[in-house]
Amino acid sequence: MKLYLYGIIDSSDRIKDSIYGLEGASVYNIPFCNIGAIVSEINQPIQGVTKGTVLEHEAVTEKLMANFAVLPVRFQTIIDGRDNLLSVMQSYYKDFRDNLDRVRNKVEFGIKVIWPADKIKKSIRNSRKKGEHEMPIPDGSSNKKFMRKKLEKYRINEDFEQKADKFINVMDMFFSKFAAEKVLKKLKTENLLLDAAYLIERDRQADFKEAFEHIKSAHAAFKFLFSGPWPAYNFVILPKNSNLLKDSRQEDLFDKEIQHQDLVGADKI
Amino acid sequence: MDNAVTRSKDITLLEILDRVLDKGVVISGDAVISVADVDLIYLGLKVLLSSVETMEQLRGSPFVGPMQEAK
Repeated sequence: MKLYLYGIIDSSDRIKDSIYGLEGASVYNIPFCNIGAIVSEINQPIQGVTKGTVLEHEAVTEKLMANFAVLPVRFQTIIDGRDNLLSVMQSYYKDFRDNLDRVRNKVEFGIKVIWPADKIKKSIRNSRKKGEHEMPIPDGSSNKKFMRKKLEKYRINEDFEQKADKFINVMDMFFSKFAAEKVLKKLKTENLLLDAAYLIERDRQADFKEAFEHIKSAHAAFKFLFSGPWPAYNFVILPKNSNLLKDSRQEDLFDKEIQHQDLVGADKI
Repeated sequence: MDNAVTRSKDITLLEILDRVLDKGVVISGDAVISVADVDLIYLGLKVLLSSVETMEQLRGSPFVGPMQEAK
């Protein structure tokens, strides 16, 4: 029997609510010690990714969130039978337990900030022309002109990055006050200034949303995307050197662009 | 108004895809029958996912409210 795995929860009890997953199959808990694997039985591997199956998968983890700490498992994880699943649970037990402790009573929110990169660069260019940073146009060879152009472009990009850091620091200062942990990605594209995920205590959601609205209204020229509450997708940290893990993205969790910060007991705005 | 709702739903779906296909617990090993081709699918999606602003430009007016409303 093949088992479709939706998530790991901090309970070995039977699920009281009726939850239906992929192919309309009943979702149930397979306990291991004091945690559990949430699965449904599946007849055949899913053919590709469809909107329907993705939404069904996500719906199950969101329903579980209401009553348990949940570690969402990546879409289309199918295990070959109960014994194999239990063996996986045994291998990962301590890591699952640690992660569940970290995300208990917390939810994830996503924030994307889009800024007008072209306008920002234009304004940097203009201020450099007006200001003391302007470089004289060389009289010499085309090589000199080419080098000057290159240098000017480099300096504009440098200023652009600095501006991005400045904006992100201000925004993050507000958001972090309510966050247990965060994952920030700067300038994934020129226009996507910030792609962030924050792990927020359930009882601080309202404060976090208020901080978001405050920042949003203070930056009218930017566009903001706010999503959540989600299960803690961005905050599952499994060991880098696990024998079972061969996914390079696990290494990303340790990259410098990803910052985790404990802010327990931080002041409210 | 309908366009705004549709846009909001599309963006929410992108947010879901970004999470369920790329985040969360990843288990590999002999016990796992499937997760394999999700990586390839995601490679294609990643371009789209990281270009939310492009989507917005194509569709016209600015985003409406928090996506949470459409979820």
